[in-house]
Amino acid sequence: MTFREKVLKGKFVITAEVAPPRGTDWKPVVEPLKPLKGKVDAFNVTDCQRSMVRMAPLSMAKLLKDSGYDPILQLTCRDRNRIALQSELLGAYALGVENVCLMTGDFTTLGDQPDAKPVFDLDSVQLIELASQLNSGKLLNGKELKGKVNFFIGAVYNPFAGPEILQAWKLEKKIKAGARFIQTQPIYDVKLAEEVSSFIYSLGAVPIIGLLPIKSLKMANFMKKLNPTSVPDSLVKGLETAKDPASYGWEFVLNIARACLEFSGGIHFMLVGKVRELADFIDYLKKHRDYSVKF
Amino acid sequence: MVTVKLKPLEEIVDSLSGFEKIFIVGCQLGSARCRNGGLREAYRVAGYLELKGFKVVGVKSPGGTCVLDRLDYSARSLLNEIKETADVVLSLACGAGTQLIAENVPIPVKTGVTTLFIGAEREGRYFEEYCIACGDCVISDTGGICPVARCPKSLVNGPCGGAIAGKCEVDPNLPCIWFKIAQRMEQIGELEKLRKRVPPKDYSISVYPRKLVLEE
Repeated sequence: MTFREKVLKGKFVITAEVAPPRGTDWKPVVEPLKPLKGKVDAFNVTDCQRSMVRMAPLSMAKLLKDSGYDPILQLTCRDRNRIALQSELLGAYALGVENVCLMTGDFTTLGDQPDAKPVFDLDSVQLIELASQLNSGKLLNGKELKGKVNFFIGAVYNPFAGPEILQAWKLEKKIKAGARFIQTQPIYDVKLAEEVSSFIYSLGAVPIIGLLPIKSLKMANFMKKLNPTSVPDSLVKGLETAKDPASYGWEFVLNIARACLEFSGGIHFMLVGKVRELADFIDYLKKHRDYSVKF
Repeated sequence: MVTVKLKPLEEIVDSLSGFEKIFIVGCQLGSARCRNGGLREAYRVAGYLELKGFKVVGVKSPGGTCVLDRLDYSARSLLNEIKETADVVLSLACGAGTQLIAENVPIPVKTGVTTLFIGAEREGRYFEEYCIACGDCVISDTGGICPVARCPKSLVNGPCGGAIAGKCEVDPNLPCIWFKIAQRMEQIGELEKLRKRVPPKDYSISVYPRKLVLEE
């Protein structure tokens, strides 16, 4: 079953993030994913994340597809106006890339090319509307498409951003505009993951909870700097006292992953560092008598 | 007002090298208000240039430099005075005023300022960008606070996911304007309006150079 089929059938999905290379060497990016083949349902291909130049996400998505993986093409509004976004989406579909995750994107000055001109012609809600309009057979200007598309559209949600009511309404706008699955920023708290999941379900989309294993206290502090309320004190304390902080951080996230099986639509690993361990964990979940039915 | 920033004096000196008789034009509108290019600053620059060996033949402001009638009215024409006395103009007016001078004198015109933005002033020293003159004003729907100018991404459907603890992801010293908009909309009982999807902006109406022509 494809990622789309699984989501639509209410199966639990596992996605992971792949960053295209800062150059053309794509094989070292794809080869390590081998143990995850058939285990991770789809790979999000990031779009020059943190505003740093990387290989075009569409090229990387196509390379992944050719290597036997189901890609989710991430597209942001940072670098392309509405002409380029439509063009990119049409090209993606022609190459067999059907899953897209659409977002506003990090601002240009946050990366290592801060002198670039920011575009932001559309915002995430309008980009999702645009993709839905393509799905209805029309370009944004209403003209008929030659050849149909049928994108499976996703979006993102950060439960730690504010103002809360406006973030909630923005998520509602994204889902009304056509987002069918929502991938969240990393969550380290089961209760919050459950609340976020039920909120996303209530709006009519499938939640996929973001998970980012924390490898060290340094990384935890960095995350805290980005998002002060996202990293709970219990995790920081555990990392402080653990003999092996990396294993502790990994186990912490796996516990949340297990819990998500009870109430969410899927999990999204935003770092595929421990490929072998992740593959083993997915095997364990799929064979577990309590969880196997979910897949 | 249009705010400007005086260029470093060394840079101004560099741009004037080779010229002898300099006419300095300040502007009493935005440039003076933000204390970077009014008459006071024009005199300060004049003093510095004289120390550097230049001859300053005039320091004046026509009031609003971007109004042709002010530069060139029949009783006293600043443009004529410039033409008769100087071999270069140093303008501290905004980009509009400086261009208007350049279009109307035969000698070179150099700018001593960089034009920054359309902003508001507080306490006589804080100037912040409030308007990018997008040509399609939305502030009636956003509590009188402009997200197009005051959000770096010009988001109109609500804040991005980088709005953490009230701060903008682009600059931690910058509050996310959507917090202010939410607060204001709640205060005036219009919060629910922000739930409505806002369609893409029509950028064809803001293709520059724009014009405004009044009917006779």
